[in-house]
Amino acid sequence: MNTTIKEQNGELVTYFEGRLDTAAAPQAEKDIQPLLASNGKNIVLDCNALEYISSSGLRLFLTVLKSAKSKGGHVFITGMNNDIRNVFSMTGFTNLFEFR
Amino acid sequence: MKRHLTLHNDIQEVPQLAAFIDEVAEECNIDMALTMSLNLAMEEAVVNVMNYAYPAGTVGDVDIDAEFDNGTLTFVLSDSGTPFDPTQANDPDLTLQAEDRPIGGLGIFLVRQIMDQVEYHYRDGKNILTLSKNISSVNP
Repeated sequence: MNTTIKEQNGELVTYFEGRLDTAAAPQAEKDIQPLLASNGKNIVLDCNALEYISSSGLRLFLTVLKSAKSKGGHVFITGMNNDIRNVFSMTGFTNLFEFR
Repeated sequence: MKRHLTLHNDIQEVPQLAAFIDEVAEECNIDMALTMSLNLAMEEAVVNVMNYAYPAGTVGDVDIDAEFDNGTLTFVLSDSGTPFDPTQANDPDLTLQAEDRPIGGLGIFLVRQIMDQVEYHYRDGKNILTLSKNISSVNP
């Protein structure tokens, strides 16, 4: 699992690559700290290369969303595969995020 | 088809569980989408045991038995930890806004969403969680 953050056009774009399971979540949590420290910038979670997510990963996504919203920022998700879309649907996460 | 796996209460062993589920699914000709769902349900159920069954700092096992019979795939999880019935957990409120959604509480909910039957028993000092999925429709 790799997590990379790049600033593009004033937005923080975060690229997730691989399996965001419970084993990978502690490192991913460290990697996303800059998103939590950011100052109301819009955040894009790029899931084009994300193969799998479990509740540990959903927990991170929700943490990012809560932090951004509290500062007036937006969180956009892009590139989710159908399996991950299904997990978002089952957990009601589809209603929480904005999608591109 | 019968298979068995024993893991320690160490979340770094979750990838071994994923490999195990992939093997079981392949043997039962289960498609990729359902394989991922089974992976997810099993990860949530097993991680729940890894995180909560044993006191922090102690080593314990979780045993996983898989059996495919007559169109039904059944997993039995057993551990010798603190008695805990995950089938009694409340469902999360999916209608809440992000601000009000609690950070946790989705794992067991996902298990119940994905599996057709989830049963808990405490027997001979063990938590025994039986999870089954009817896959006859995708595996005639």
